[in-house]
Amino acid sequence: MAVALRLALLLVAAACACLFLAHPVWFPDGVSAQSAAIDHQFAIAFWILGGLFLAAHAVLAVCLMRSRRSGKPRNSYGDWRMEAAWTLAIAALFFGFNVAGVRIWSKMKFQQPESNAIQVEVTGVQFQWYFRYAGPDGVFGHVDAQRFARPQEGNPLGLDPGDSDGKDDIVSTVLVLPVGRDVDLTLRSQDVIHSLFIPAMRFKQDAVPGMSIHAHFRPIKTGAYEISCAELCGIGHYRMRAVAQVVSDEEFKRWLKAREVQK
Amino acid sequence: MPTISSPPKERTPGLGGGGPGKIPSRRGYGGGDDGDRRRPEKFLSYQSRLRRYRIGVALFSVCVSMLFLGIASVYVARQRIPYYDQNTQAFMSTWKAIHLPYIQLWLNSLLIVAGSITLELARRGQIKKAEFASMGILPPSLEREVPWLSITLLLGAGFLAGQLLVWNNLRHQGVYLRANASGAFFYTLTGLHAIHLVGGMAVLVYALLGSWLRRRFESQQIAVDATGWYWHFMGFLWFCIFGLLHFSRA
Amino acid sequence: MEELPSITTTVKPRRLLRRYVFSTDHKVVGLQYFFLSLAAALTGTLLSLLMRIHLIWPNLALPFFGTIKPENYLAYLTMHGTLMVFFVLSLVPQSGFGNYFLPLQLGVSEMSFPKLNAAGFWISLLSFLVLLAAFFVPGGAPGAGWTQYPPLSALAASGPGQALGTDLWLVSIGLFCLAAVTGSINFITTTLKLRAPGMSLMRMPLTCWTWFVTAILSLLAFSVLAAAVLLLLLDRNAGTDFFVPAGLIVSGAAVHHAGGSPLLWQHLFWFFGHPEVYIAILPGMGMTSHLLSVFARKPVFGYRAMVGSVVAIGFLGFLVWGHHMFVSGMNPYAAFAFSTLTTAIAVPSAIKTFNWMATLYGGRIRFTTPLLFSVGFVSLFITGGLTGPLLAQPALDVYLHDTYFVVAHFHLIMAMAGLFAVFAATHFWFPKIFGRMMNERLGILHFWITFVGAYAIFVPMHLLGMAGHPRRYSELTGVQYVAAMAPLQKWITIAAVVTIAGQIIFLVNFFWSMFKGAAAPSNPWECSTLEWTLPSPTPHAGFAGRLPVVNHGPYEYGVTGREADYLMQDAEA
Repeated sequence: MAVALRLALLLVAAACACLFLAHPVWFPDGVSAQSAAIDHQFAIAFWILGGLFLAAHAVLAVCLMRSRRSGKPRNSYGDWRMEAAWTLAIAALFFGFNVAGVRIWSKMKFQQPESNAIQVEVTGVQFQWYFRYAGPDGVFGHVDAQRFARPQEGNPLGLDPGDSDGKDDIVSTVLVLPVGRDVDLTLRSQDVIHSLFIPAMRFKQDAVPGMSIHAHFRPIKTGAYEISCAELCGIGHYRMRAVAQVVSDEEFKRWLKAREVQK
Repeated sequence: MPTISSPPKERTPGLGGGGPGKIPSRRGYGGGDDGDRRRPEKFLSYQSRLRRYRIGVALFSVCVSMLFLGIASVYVARQRIPYYDQNTQAFMSTWKAIHLPYIQLWLNSLLIVAGSITLELARRGQIKKAEFASMGILPPSLEREVPWLSITLLLGAGFLAGQLLVWNNLRHQGVYLRANASGAFFYTLTGLHAIHLVGGMAVLVYALLGSWLRRRFESQQIAVDATGWYWHFMGFLWFCIFGLLHFSRA
Repeated sequence: MEELPSITTTVKPRRLLRRYVFSTDHKVVGLQYFFLSLAAALTGTLLSLLMRIHLIWPNLALPFFGTIKPENYLAYLTMHGTLMVFFVLSLVPQSGFGNYFLPLQLGVSEMSFPKLNAAGFWISLLSFLVLLAAFFVPGGAPGAGWTQYPPLSALAASGPGQALGTDLWLVSIGLFCLAAVTGSINFITTTLKLRAPGMSLMRMPLTCWTWFVTAILSLLAFSVLAAAVLLLLLDRNAGTDFFVPAGLIVSGAAVHHAGGSPLLWQHLFWFFGHPEVYIAILPGMGMTSHLLSVFARKPVFGYRAMVGSVVAIGFLGFLVWGHHMFVSGMNPYAAFAFSTLTTAIAVPSAIKTFNWMATLYGGRIRFTTPLLFSVGFVSLFITGGLTGPLLAQPALDVYLHDTYFVVAHFHLIMAMAGLFAVFAATHFWFPKIFGRMMNERLGILHFWITFVGAYAIFVPMHLLGMAGHPRRYSELTGVQYVAAMAPLQKWITIAAVVTIAGQIIFLVNFFWSMFKGAAAPSNPWECSTLEWTLPSPTPHAGFAGRLPVVNHGPYEYGVTGREADYLMQDAEA
C-alpha cells in the first residue's frame, strides 16, 4: 500500500502536468495590447506553480517512505530553523510573483486611454448586449430606460426622443472596433449584474446596474472575437453573447457612415 | 495516587514543539447544564457555571455587534453612493435627511441607562443572596427589599414604548421603510435593537418567575447576572446607534 | 485518574425520545448533525449529478425529473452550492465531529451549554427543511447561485424561482446563521472554560485548536451574513432600497426602487463568504494534522507553528474578501490591498503543508484508510491551493473570474480536500462512536476511486476556465467557443458519474459496519488523546465522574523504553 500510494501520487502529478502540457483546450490567441503581458504572467505562474506542484508531490511521496527505525527521530517535534527557512522562501516567492503582476493591473486600471480612443457605451440587458456609439456629434444622448425603452420598436436602450444629442447615436448588437486604437467602454446595465467578457482581449468587466464603469483596451489584430456574459444574470445567461468585430480603420469609418445614413 | 501538584517533566517548549503551557488551576467540573433538578450543588460548580454564562453572553454580544456593524457599514457606504441622475446629467445624492426627535430619543436613552442601573442593583443583590444559598442557608427575606428586577422590566417597557413614539413621530414626517434610505436604516437599526432588548427582557421575566416555576435560585441568579451584562451592552449599543444616526444624518 | 465527585447525571434518560432525539448529550447532538449533513450531501450530490448529465445530454428526459430546463439547472446549481457549503462543509467537520469529540478530547463530560447546543441542531434542521421547501413552491427554487447577487436575487421578476423560492432561501440561511452562532458560543466557552485538569491550551490536540478558531470565525462571519440576509429580505418585501439602484427595467416593467448599490451586498456577503471557506477547511486541517501524527507514530512537526498558522489563517481570512470582487466595479486601489493580503494567507497555509510532510517524514507509517485519506487531503490541498496565488492577482483574475477555473479551484481545495478530511475522520472515529471497525478493504477501494476521481474531474476543469468557459452556464450551445469545449465537459461528466458511483461503497461500508463491523477495542489506532481512554462505543456518561488528569502533550508518539510506542495524555507523569 505504501508503494502504491507513493506511486499514485507521482503518477497523478505527472498526469496533471502532461495534461497541462498537452492542453486540449487553451487560452485563445491574445489580440489586445495587454494580452502579451498578461499571457506572460500566466506563463510564469504556470511554470512556478506547476513546478511547486510537482515538487510538492515528489516530496510527499518521499516522506511516505516507511521508516524502520525505532524510537523518535531527531527533531521530531520541530525545527525552527527549517520552519523559518521554508516560510521565508515561500513568502519571497509568492510576494515576488504578486508584485510582478501589480504593474499589469496598474496599466489596466490607472492608465487613461488615449485621447483618440473610441467611446462605446455597453449596456447589458437580459439577455442581450447593446453597444452604443456617439455618432458624428461625439455626444451620447440621454437615456432613460424606464420611460423610453421599447425593444420591440427599435429603442431597447430607452433613448430620449426629445434629446437631439441622441438622434445620431448608433446602437448595435455587434461591437465594431478599429484595430490599433484604444476603446474606452462605459459599462451599464438595465436590470441585473452582467459581465462583458472578451477572452481574446483578456478583458472582463462587470456591468453593474446603477453604475457607469469605465474600462479600456486596445485590439491589435483584426478578426471576429466572441463575447460572452460572465456574471449569472438569469435563465438566458448562457446565450448572452455578442461579437467583437475588429476591422481596419477605413472599414470602421465606412461602417459608421453606413449606420449614420440608416438613421 | 497521581496528583497534579508536581509539574510534569517535559522538554522546554521550543518554537517547534508543544510545551506544557499554563495549567488551569481550577477544575472544570465536567460542565454541562447542571440543571434544575433540585440536587445539592457544590459551590465551585456554581461559580464555574456563572463564569461560563458570562462568557457566553460576552460572545453573544460580539455576535450582535457584528450584526450591527454590518448594517452600520452599509449605512455609511450607502450615504456616499452618488446617483447619476439622467435628467440633470449630474451626480446627486438620494439621501433624504430625516429630523430626529431628539427629546424623545434622549428620554429613551435615559430609560435604558436607568434600566442598566436598576438591573445592576438587582444583580448585586442577587449575588449576596447566592452566597447564602450556596452555604445551604435559605436567603433571608429582607424587609423593604426593593424589587429592582421588576423596576428594570418597567423601564425596559418604557424604553420600548418610547421607541414606538419615535417611530410614530417619523411616520408623521412621512418617513417610512420604503422609498427613503435614511428612514430604512433608522427603522432597521432601532427595530433590531428593540428586538434584541425584548429578548433580554424575556430572560428577565424567566428570572422573575423562576421561583414560581420551581427553578433553582442559582439558575435565576445566573440569568439575572448574564442579562445584567447583556443590558449594559444593549445600552452601549443604543448610544452607538444614536451616535451613528446623529453624526451621519446629513 | 483522580476520582472527582460527579455532578452531571450519569444515568441515561430512559425514554427513547429523550435519549436519542431531544437529547442534550453532545454525542447525540454531534451524530444528529452528522446525519443531517449526510442527507444534505446526498441531496447536493444528486443535484450535481443532474447538472453534469444535463450539460452533456441537454435534451435527455430523466426519470422523475424530466427534461431539465435552464431555470431548473440554475435552481440545482444554487441549491447544490447552498447545501454543500452550508449544510455539509460548515456542519460535519465543525458541528458534527466537533460536538462529539471536543468535550471528549478536552477530557470533560459535556459542552458548556447543552440545551443551547441541542437547540442549535434543531434550528439547523428547520433551516434545512425550509431550504428544501423552496423546491416545492410556485416558481421553484432560487436560481441566482449560492451567492445570490442582487438585483437578480432582489427582484422577483428577474427570473423563475426568484419569488417565494428566494425568500425561503433567505429565511433558511437566516436560521442557519442563528444555529451557527449558538454552536460557536458553545465551542468557544467550552474550550476556554471546560478542560480537564492539566489540559493547557498548548496540550490540546490540533483538532481542538481548529474547532476553537473555526468557532470564532463562525461567530463573527455568520453575524454579518445575518445582516446581509436581513437587508435583502427587507429589499424584497418591505420596499427598502439597500441593494437595488434606481432606473431598472426588468422584462419590460419598471422597477420602483431607488438608490441602492448591488456592490454593498457583495461586500457584506464576501466578508462572510471568505471566512466561511476557512470555516469549511480548518477543522479538516486539524484532523489531518492529528491523523498524520497518529499514523506516522511521530509527534506533529512544529506544534506551535501549526497553532500559530491556524490562528493566522483565521485572522487573515477576514481581510481578504475583496478578492472575489476584483472585476465588480470596486475601487481598483482596494484590489492592491486585497491581493497582497490574499497572498499573505498562502504563507501559513504553506507552513502547514510543509509541517504535514515533515510529520510524515521518517515515521513508522501505518497505511490505514484514515491515513490514506489524510494524505489525499494534503495532496488535494496542495493542488487546489496552488491556484490560489494565481487567482489572487487581479491582472490574472480579470480573465479567470467567473470561469470554470475558479470552480475547479474551490472544488479541489474546499470540496474535495474537505471531504477527504471528513472521510478520514469518519473511518478514524467510527470505532469510538459505534464500537465497530469500518471495513478496511472497502475503505481502501473507496479511497482510490475518490482520489483518482477527484483529480480526473477537477484538474481538466482548469483548462476549461483557461479557455474562457464562463461558469453557471446551463447549456453549452449558447456561445460558440463554449460549445467547442463539449468533449472536455463530457470527460468531466463521465469522471463525475464514476466517482459519485464510487461513493456508494462508502455508504455501504458505513451502514453495514454500524451493525456488522468487527467489534472495536477501546483504542484500536493506539492514539494518545483522551477520547481513546473511554470504552468503544463511548458510554453515555463519557467522562462524568471520572475526569482525567492530563500530564502529557497530545502527540507523544515514538516513545522508547515502554511497551507501547506512545504515551496517553493522562498517563502518569
